Amino acid sequence: MTLRSVLPAKFATLEPFVEKWALTTSRERSHERENSSLAEMRHFYDVAAPCLKDALAYLDAKSLDSFQPEDERLMALCLSLAHVTLAVEVQGEAEPQNAQYRHEMRITRTTAERAN
Amino acid sequence: MNVESATFHPVSNDEVAMFGTAPIPVGPYHDPAYYALEREAVFKRAWLHIGHVSELPQPGSFIVRNIEAARASILIVRGKDGALRAFYNVCTHRGTELVAQSSGMATTFSCRYHMWTFNDRGDLRGAPDFERFFLDKADCGLTKVAVGVAAGLLFVNLAPEPEQSLAEFLGPLQAELEQLPCAKATAFAEYVYEIDANWKLVYDNFQENYHLRFIHPRSVGESATSPVNPFGYPRRFEFVGVHRKQALWINPEHVPGQLQGDALTRLADDALTGGFEELMAESEYFAVFPNFFMLNSPVLPFSHTVFPIGPEKSRGVIRFYWSGEDQCATQRFAREFAVAATRDIHAEDRSVIEAGQRGISSGAIKHIHFQAQEALCRHFFNSVDAAVKAYEAELALKGVAA
Repeated sequence: MTLRSVLPAKFATLEPFVEKWALTTSRERSHERENSSLAEMRHFYDVAAPCLKDALAYLDAKSLDSFQPEDERLMALCLSLAHVTLAVEVQGEAEPQNAQYRHEMRITRTTAERAN
Repeated sequence: MNVESATFHPVSNDEVAMFGTAPIPVGPYHDPAYYALEREAVFKRAWLHIGHVSELPQPGSFIVRNIEAARASILIVRGKDGALRAFYNVCTHRGTELVAQSSGMATTFSCRYHMWTFNDRGDLRGAPDFERFFLDKADCGLTKVAVGVAAGLLFVNLAPEPEQSLAEFLGPLQAELEQLPCAKATAFAEYVYEIDANWKLVYDNFQENYHLRFIHPRSVGESATSPVNPFGYPRRFEFVGVHRKQALWINPEHVPGQLQGDALTRLADDALTGGFEELMAESEYFAVFPNFFMLNSPVLPFSHTVFPIGPEKSRGVIRFYWSGEDQCATQRFAREFAVAATRDIHAEDRSVIEAGQRGISSGAIKHIHFQAQEALCRHFFNSVDAAVKAYEAELALKGVAA
């Protein structure tokens, strides 16, 4: 018996982040950002940011509706990285203060979610 | 060094002096009596944006929207003939709210109370034991509401006979809105917030840039401010009847973060391939009276509607209209980023707007002040207040007649 890979093989370095960040909806991803420390997000960003272009290029080579489960997880990690990028690149030390303001901003629909 | 960045000329005080310079009374921003007048004078008379045609893609599609300011639930249906029709979502038997779902597919609508059933044109088609009524079915149709579409945006008007058609109401703005992504969009993203603040106080926040550097030092920051334009003031204001426009200034020297830059570049590329090249030069802002605006930023275009819920309570609905569903992973990433980035900015706004309402509602001050670069707020206040005053005059006339 072989276990299917969690992520496509060339992105194995991102596997430690799957459980926390491979989330299904935009709302879940935004909540995870708001419930994470800046240090946790910096760690994810530092490892994942250098892989983003390759990961998106790998996924761009497939049609969105043909994703295997490991592709979906990689896509979800990339989408969480979009949220985490705002914490790391934009908000920085202001992230904890500004995170509290976002709880009331409910994401109700995105094109990424509709496909799920 | 970009030549454009070397100088910046804000709109002069003189250019907006025609809207007055006096302090603005705080009453309209919290007084329940003023809000009651606004509901009649503004929200039951103006064309109100409440959705997008992509929500009614095929015959049989319907949506239901609550307009709290009018205490109304509105049913909008795309009929079998393809035409859009809007009705009060109210059974004509005894007034029960007809449709409970917020959207779906149907060509008939049955009231769960006594099973009166209406078709997609609002006609009463069936009612159990109807011969015991003293009525003609033809007189029992759903109450119609005027509905119109401009640039893909759905508007309704709750006046029994609207004073203007939607096209008359929008005037020259309609042709400009028709050039925007919303006119072609078949998909959108949305986030929603509720806020303890008067709808005008909420809306005003998004009509001035004076606060940008203080409230959004990081989320907006140098993308829209710089030493030549430290407050990020707009390049141009324009006033079109009760509506308004402004051309927002973008700092050409701003360098975004690495992944932020990648996402923004992709969004700009998508806008270009979508045929919106001419719109990319500047960020154009369209404020449609009373409570809707569209910011056609080259990279983060969104619409924002502020629905009053009470004198000190509102709901904001932000939408990103996209040219279609996601085509690939990179586009999906960029769009997710666009929604999250704008949400960050609006969350910062929401916090300070509520603080403003608390201060105003405390009664500590009698007036608020708008500077020349807050001219859109002043024009907005003037427009609402003119509608309220006209309505009060009508009431007074009726009182005299009676």
